Amino acid sequence: MQRITVAVSGRPTVAWRIAGRRPPVVCVHGAGVSSREFRPFIEVLGRRHDAWTVDLPGFGASAGPGHPLGVRALADALVEWLAAVGLDDVVLLGGSFGCQVAVDAAVRHPGRIAGMVLVGPTVDPAARGFVRQMLRWIRNAPHESVSMAALNLADYRDAGGRRVLGAFTESLRDRIEDKLPHVLMPTLVVRGAQDRMVPQEWAEEVTRLLPAGRLAVVEDSGHMVPYRQAHALAGLVVDFLAHECAAAGAGGRAGPREQRSAR
Amino acid sequence: MKASKAIASFDSATGMLRALSRFLAGRDVPALGKLPAAFESPLSGLLGGLNRLPVAVRERAYAVSGWAEAIPQHRVGEVRSDALAEWVTGHYPRRRYPVIFIGSANGALVHLAAALDAAWLPQTLLLPVRRRGVAPDDPRGDLAAVGEAGRTLVASNPDLVLHHMHDPNQDRLMIAGMTYFRIKWHRLPAAYRRFIRDHLAPGGMLVGVDCTLRWPTTRIDDRYVFQFGALGDATPEEYRLGGPRVAGLLARYGSPVRRWDPPAADGDSPEAEWGTDPTLLDDIRAFAGPRGLDAQLLRFDTPQRLSPAVADLYRTWYADRGLPTGRLLVESFLLLEPWWALRTGSVPYWTVFGTQAFRAHLEAYLDASAPYDEIRILLFNHGTDSIGLAGAQDWRCTAARARKIGLLTGVDAAAYPRDFASFVRSHRALSKIRTRCPLPPSLDITSAAAALTGREEIVWRPMR
Repeated sequence: MQRITVAVSGRPTVAWRIAGRRPPVVCVHGAGVSSREFRPFIEVLGRRHDAWTVDLPGFGASAGPGHPLGVRALADALVEWLAAVGLDDVVLLGGSFGCQVAVDAAVRHPGRIAGMVLVGPTVDPAARGFVRQMLRWIRNAPHESVSMAALNLADYRDAGGRRVLGAFTESLRDRIEDKLPHVLMPTLVVRGAQDRMVPQEWAEEVTRLLPAGRLAVVEDSGHMVPYRQAHALAGLVVDFLAHECAAAGAGGRAGPREQRSAR
Repeated sequence: MKASKAIASFDSATGMLRALSRFLAGRDVPALGKLPAAFESPLSGLLGGLNRLPVAVRERAYAVSGWAEAIPQHRVGEVRSDALAEWVTGHYPRRRYPVIFIGSANGALVHLAAALDAAWLPQTLLLPVRRRGVAPDDPRGDLAAVGEAGRTLVASNPDLVLHHMHDPNQDRLMIAGMTYFRIKWHRLPAAYRRFIRDHLAPGGMLVGVDCTLRWPTTRIDDRYVFQFGALGDATPEEYRLGGPRVAGLLARYGSPVRRWDPPAADGDSPEAEWGTDPTLLDDIRAFAGPRGLDAQLLRFDTPQRLSPAVADLYRTWYADRGLPTGRLLVESFLLLEPWWALRTGSVPYWTVFGTQAFRAHLEAYLDASAPYDEIRILLFNHGTDSIGLAGAQDWRCTAARARKIGLLTGVDAAAYPRDFASFVRSHRALSKIRTRCPLPPSLDITSAAAALTGREEIVWRPMR
């Protein structure tokens, strides 16, 4: 795995990559955490595709400004980073709050983005509130890998309490449901079957709001599907790239996807 | 004996009766209509816990739940046809209906009736009767053990025909401790006549529902036939002569035999569960004629035939109302949700059972239809790895034909076909769908009749 550091707005931004076949897939992490949780996944996906995972400014190994950044600023930084490393026609794979950043980027900068994978998209408007989200987070915890806790703690240490809290606050403030109808590229929505942060009905609503969305449910997983079920998710992504992204690339982005045969 | 004690509640006719009558009262069907919605959450957890038990324990629990519903043999003679018919009509809200269907049980018909604000009076009900000491693979033993009770039943009820049914393929868990008496009215019972007189709207229509499916039977008495096997993937020949699939089933269940030895068939009869006894239709005609009632006939050859027709009818109806038409709800056996189908704007497609043949029918319907954005599939769990059963993964592949959302709803794929929590979970999952549609005014009978008349293999015409 290659560590790549480039300057974005004058600050070093760090990403990890396993080079491979196009299109490049760029993983965007969730609130307060970093690319640490995605690295096992890109090791699997990197066997088939060009796989990246990037630390957003202020998280993980990337430097950030003194104040926490909002969704829009994080999305701008992400797109700036894509330009800095020379990536275009990418597929953004967001995890949790990373979906909100990726969706904001896709709506305002669609030119560089060929497709989207939204894994456990937050925040369900039916539970928009700190206490309700915290309760869901607690209910979800038993469905996550125990080994992920150490990575989370390291991420929170790297980011600092202010940024972690800022990211959670921002996730509650951002209304992803207003933006989803404007995401015109093919989008795969993925939910862990035991995800208590993202209930099935919200995952369905996300898919319904997307003009070209499709929902997949991964068994035996809570919220963090990339960490818990890296192989299953990689399989879904490879299939999505082969069928839906390839078809959209040939036939135009917002056009209806061809009927897929049962597999 | 009280009719509610005698009639099986876990049966197609009773499940459909509950679903339709509750819909007509403006209600949905939590826990198959047996318990209030408030019990769903704890019951779902309890039954979900049951799924973790060993297969043998789950099968035993399923069999015991069926046995608990059955009546003792010595009380069969107390069953009275009039009480059964009154119990049926008692389900419906006391008001006028523009249409009353009478005849064969059919899930698609329930949705047709829901759209038309119509009632449906079943011709057939199931009376489960306890018996001991007979293995599921011993049809002759079953007949010998309960034949006398069957004779008593028909002797006490001159307007009933008894279709004694024994299916060691699909019902093998249930028939371990009981036998299936399916009773068919061959004359309109008095309670049905009263219901029509009091509740058919002026100028309303009576529709005889005639499923012409037949099955080989052995005649035991004048109004008593024995049917071995039933509609599913196994053919009547496989039931009678055996074959690799039968031998495989028997081996899977550790049976000492590799084929069955049923009493020889001496003719055929209306299929016990789905087929219509045509003598009832004659009686409907005779009842309607002198009273000047408009009596129509809805005829099809097999229960699955009506499903694509009703699905297309709903789709056109939604389009006419300016609603999206991209959501499909595939139902299974007695898992029916007419209220939620309309509330969520779902096109209903009913499957008889979860077998490969019925899955192929659904695939053919999807092949012939404009693509659906969402496909939800409910699966009825009958507890048995029966011949031709399609696995949860197969059904998942069919659901994946949806453009956006394709999934099994309320099904634990790992536990299927022994996921007994699905009886509760499927309703809960449907009730959580966030997109809702206003319930529409009733569909006009003439447009429904015109849509059905245009289908091949479905007949809708005046009774002559």
